[in-house]
Amino acid sequence: MAKVKTGVSPRLSRMLEELQEGIEDGLVPAWIFNDPELFELEKERIFSRSWVYLAHESEIPKPGDYVLRYVLNNPYILVRGEDGVVRALLDMCRHRGMRVCRAELGNASHFRCPFHGWTYRNDGRLIGVPAEREAFGQDFNKEEWGLVPIPRLEAFDGMIFGNLDPEAPSLEEWLGDIRWYLELVTKRSPQGLEVLGPPQRWVVHTDWKLALETFLSDSYHTLMTHRSLIELGIAPKDAKYAMYGEQIHIPGKGHGSMVVGAPPGAKLPPFWGYPEEMLERARTSYPTREQFETARETRILLVTLFPNFSFHNPIRKPDHKYQGAVPMLTFRVWHPLGPGRIEIFSWALVEKDAPEWFKEKTRHSYLRFFGSSGTFEQDDTEIWSHVAHNAATTQGRHLRFNYRMGLKLEPDPNWPGPGVAYGLNFTDANMRNFHRRYLEMLLS
Amino acid sequence: MERTQALLNCLYHEAELLDEGRYREWLALLAEDVRYRVPVRVTKERGPEGGVSGVMEGMYHLDEDYTSLEMRVARLETGFAWAEDPPSRLRHFVTNVRIGEPRPTPKGEESEVRSNLLIFRSRWDRPDYTFLSAERRDVWRQEEGGWRLACRTVILDSATLPTHNLSFFF
Repeated sequence: MAKVKTGVSPRLSRMLEELQEGIEDGLVPAWIFNDPELFELEKERIFSRSWVYLAHESEIPKPGDYVLRYVLNNPYILVRGEDGVVRALLDMCRHRGMRVCRAELGNASHFRCPFHGWTYRNDGRLIGVPAEREAFGQDFNKEEWGLVPIPRLEAFDGMIFGNLDPEAPSLEEWLGDIRWYLELVTKRSPQGLEVLGPPQRWVVHTDWKLALETFLSDSYHTLMTHRSLIELGIAPKDAKYAMYGEQIHIPGKGHGSMVVGAPPGAKLPPFWGYPEEMLERARTSYPTREQFETARETRILLVTLFPNFSFHNPIRKPDHKYQGAVPMLTFRVWHPLGPGRIEIFSWALVEKDAPEWFKEKTRHSYLRFFGSSGTFEQDDTEIWSHVAHNAATTQGRHLRFNYRMGLKLEPDPNWPGPGVAYGLNFTDANMRNFHRRYLEMLLS
Repeated sequence: MERTQALLNCLYHEAELLDEGRYREWLALLAEDVRYRVPVRVTKERGPEGGVSGVMEGMYHLDEDYTSLEMRVARLETGFAWAEDPPSRLRHFVTNVRIGEPRPTPKGEESEVRSNLLIFRSRWDRPDYTFLSAERRDVWRQEEGGWRLACRTVILDSATLPTHNLSFFF
């Protein structure tokens, strides 16, 4: 592994070496979850050169449709031009820096700056400058003064990602083998997915890595954090229900997935409990037979992409008295705001060709269990915020957390998908893989 | 005047129940067919006629019926609902109450009731707190045994919520 590079303070170098030394032994120091100096380095070395999820194409289906999204603190207008091409334009007038977009979403043929009136088409070109001749003379070239596009913008199956690093590898290369697991959701139907409305947004005093780890790897927290839902009969009776599955990581990439089936003896419908017609469509929609067969046996699926995107797709029902299953799908961005502070962007999605009754019910399954008021997620955010608080205390920051679960597990040779898979989901393997990748980016 | 006073009493009594975490008593104030919604609110430009901006129809923070509200209350009673255990110290400030004309319906006489709401929330031993400000657009119905909340739409004054979860009621 790379040595700590110059440009990192001696204090931070020492601390990162501690993380580097501990990770293979399953030890992670608490301070990494709340440290202002580390956060600055994460901004520079992680978020300024990683592929960050921005939006789903179904949020902006028509020419002129736009949504406002962020990479770090940079506001980008993600807009579909009249030519149908999606662009991400920095929401900052080239003249004096005012925001040119005054809404989080909408449809616009152009964006006009309220400061001096410079006006841009929805493809970013500067088309109007008040008193252009008088103010700037004959040789003013508007072509040089368009809105600044994000350095890189690429999409995978309708998922749009941006990257601030012009030299970054392609999104395809960045994703690598995790695509097989993304496709379990993106290719479940030939029509693909659509969002159910705009994202919920809320602020949590925690670290982006803590939130991410829960969705990436922490099957073990469900038995205590989410005990209330087990008591209510929403989660399976067996408190260890999340253990019965595979945990898969993509070495060198930092991504990971958890694919959970039915606990032994539990009578849960196959294929997450999606309606029969959706199962039939999936039979021919998935690129491979292995994906279809894996999907058919899945009840809970999570995929997390390095550095800060997750989706969660569990079997659920709209309330504790509902007979039957209505699965839900949520996309997440764990948006870093500062040390110990994140904003969560949370979307609900569904297959475009799902029956209408199902779209309504899956929205309820989502709202009642995940998102800002979700009865699972309420307890996650409560706990994450206390962990982040402790991680910045003078004594607590030096403690090393135990990431040793499953350290001695052998990979499952029979797993049909790519990556390194373990046949027991009670393992910190995905987190250890994430931290290796995290360190690699911080140190290079 | 009597009706106005009765509805004001309902709102103040409800606020007391919510502040004190007496959720079973609160559920008893709800009509069985209650619709309880908190739409997502986003920043939008001013429309030509002004008015309330950016209240989204497609997504909510809460979209509840009686059964799901009862589920949320039952969850708090399990002893494992960490988001509210220890409970938040909540104070519901209810002001600017506007009461519409009564209208007869097959289910009983109903009144629109609008109120402004400020919720103070403090947790653990920290001195900091959060405020959530909103307008509530209610329909209250006179049923046997008293007024019941038949419908509530909460128009939040935040686009991005300043609190880490919505583990309480508006």
